Amino acid sequence: MIRKPSTLLLAIGAICFLGQAALQRGVIFDKWKKDYSPGRGQMVAGGLSPDQMLFALTGFREMVAGILWVRADSFFDTGNYDAILPIIRLVTILDPKQIDVYATGMWHIGYNFTDEEQRSDRRYIPSALALGKEGARQNPNTYEMFFETGWMWYHKIDDDYGQAVKWFNEAQKREDMLVARKNLLSNAYERNGQVPEGIETLYTLYESAAETAEADKQAFGNKQNKETLENKLDTAIVRMIQRGFIAEKEGRPLVGYDVYPPFDVNFSAKVTVIDPRVLKVEGSYGVLPVGTRIRIVLKDVDFPNSVPAGMEWDSSNDVNLDPPKKSTFMQDQLFIRNRKFNRKIDMSKDPTMYPFTGQDYLVEFYYNPRSAPPHIQDKFGFNGEGFTDKNFLNTEVREGQRVLYTTLKLTRDQILRRGEWKDKVPVVKTSNFVETGRNYFGDDSLTIDLPSLRN
Amino acid sequence: MRSIISIATTTVGEAIRRKVLLIILLVGILFLVVAPGLGVLSARSETTVLRGMMLGIIQLTSAVIAIVLTVYMIPNEIERRTIYTILSKPVQRWQFLLGKYLGAVLALGLMMLLMTAVLVFTFWLQQDRQVSGIADLIAAPLMYFVQMSLLAAVAIFFSTFVAPLVNFFLTGGMYLLGSLFNPFFQTLQESQGTPPVAKLFAQFVNTILPNFANYNIQNPIINPGQQIQNPQAYYMQATIYGVFYIGTLLVLGILIFDRREV
Repeated sequence: MIRKPSTLLLAIGAICFLGQAALQRGVIFDKWKKDYSPGRGQMVAGGLSPDQMLFALTGFREMVAGILWVRADSFFDTGNYDAILPIIRLVTILDPKQIDVYATGMWHIGYNFTDEEQRSDRRYIPSALALGKEGARQNPNTYEMFFETGWMWYHKIDDDYGQAVKWFNEAQKREDMLVARKNLLSNAYERNGQVPEGIETLYTLYESAAETAEADKQAFGNKQNKETLENKLDTAIVRMIQRGFIAEKEGRPLVGYDVYPPFDVNFSAKVTVIDPRVLKVEGSYGVLPVGTRIRIVLKDVDFPNSVPAGMEWDSSNDVNLDPPKKSTFMQDQLFIRNRKFNRKIDMSKDPTMYPFTGQDYLVEFYYNPRSAPPHIQDKFGFNGEGFTDKNFLNTEVREGQRVLYTTLKLTRDQILRRGEWKDKVPVVKTSNFVETGRNYFGDDSLTIDLPSLRN
Repeated sequence: MRSIISIATTTVGEAIRRKVLLIILLVGILFLVVAPGLGVLSARSETTVLRGMMLGIIQLTSAVIAIVLTVYMIPNEIERRTIYTILSKPVQRWQFLLGKYLGAVLALGLMMLLMTAVLVFTFWLQQDRQVSGIADLIAAPLMYFVQMSLLAAVAIFFSTFVAPLVNFFLTGGMYLLGSLFNPFFQTLQESQGTPPVAKLFAQFVNTILPNFANYNIQNPIINPGQQIQNPQAYYMQATIYGVFYIGTLLVLGILIFDRREV
């Protein structure tokens, strides 16, 4: 016998149904979206296959992310770097809270893709930065991805220090920022030409370190940190004075300061294509002390998002694991020894990294005194006040900065030694290049007079 | 009430004796035991990966147990005709269904308790026998228990009118859909190009569907750097939501089962 449904049962059912609906719509979904959603509402789904998407959205994403990360680790051990990239991407999508994966992935993309001569494939850097930005967006409560992104600007890109300042400042705002890492902000300020801000940062850190050291006199680390900051502050102030920074700010002449008169580095360069895809770069740069490196860039004339001696590093917000593979971008350093440089750049073993599919190429030479080591800056100044070059000083490619910049041109046929260049050796050089054999400088008066600190 | 308790305890006994469930449980525990040996990563990565894997294993194993345990429950009673013996006694059909459900949830709870004990023991060993943080870790299996109780209710509801095999896929599909719909709805909500009708429809589905994703609270436990305000309140709300939904499913199940010829 089939009975009529009881009214009480129906009432219980209705209350339960309405109760769950009210809870889901009124409270739970919004809180879930805020605190427990994959990616907290910033879910990245681009590039995911349907099965990957399925895992990303079900409850097992952290487990799958863990398994994949263990797998990626085994690929690191075997050096199978190409296989790691998609795994890193997938893990960061599955679990955007795994900061280690973001940090490792960013470092891996930015640093580990190199040619046979250990030159990084800089076409990946916008992707590395995009990963860093995404990591910071997904993990806004911890300093780590802000610091890592700042470090990429400061150390790897080593050019736009304003970005390093921005990211280090963001990292500094987070409570968990490591004490030892805080000092870097002052270095970034200094390299960005904001010397007073750098000093101010050091003072603030010193005051805090002194308080911490006073509170716990037994802790050696606290004492050491305080002394490090004291030393940095002391050195920075002496340098500010000796480099004429304060005098300049006060409108006094720089005569008598280490940066005066500006030293002419007398740059010249010659590029010879000695074999297909192999360049010999030689030239002069009148700085005697070791530690000077000139940036050389070889890239397509129409390289996407190109800027002088670089590219728009911050051009991407998407982690694109396929850089512009048809474009070539080679960046290296020319080390100065005895006021000259001579370097062979072999790009013949890495056709994927240097495809040379375009017709025309630009060889750029760039030197920014802001990136120079402190002992060179003692002569050149914080912003290149003591630096000049009668031919190639440029104040436009980096707005408001005194840098050395010049370009030479090569064609695809010249680089690949094809066509008319099969039997001829292509040579391009700056107009002031002088073939002087082993020594470019006959006159010793060109030697830089390197000031010593506190003399 | 006594008859409900008696059916529930009998169901627990039956469940514990079922070899297939014990094998699934054993495999789950085996995975939990070997998980710490997988890969040598950085200290923090290792903890993160281990927590993610162990909680995932518990969740996955529990889901399989919950489905396998409940899909056969009512059909088996009918097939073996044991239901006649029970219903010939002064036991109402709703009492039978409720007793069966509570028994299944109890058995599931026991099995999950065992897995959680392995989890806690592993982390206790890993943390050099320190108990700090373990309480936070336990929150995830507790929420999984509510999730699996909801899943068992879905299976019990379907088992009142479909065959076990169909029920297996139906419940599994519902679990998948219920896990996917929250993120899917969120994407639709935030997408500028979604037509308002589609948004409205998604909102309706999100309101009536059992949202299993509400119980996937493991991420902040796996990655402890996150700041979440008052997670306990959320756990409580999600539990009440689960109880309401289970209530709805059981009432529907009772209504269908009451009208079914056995």
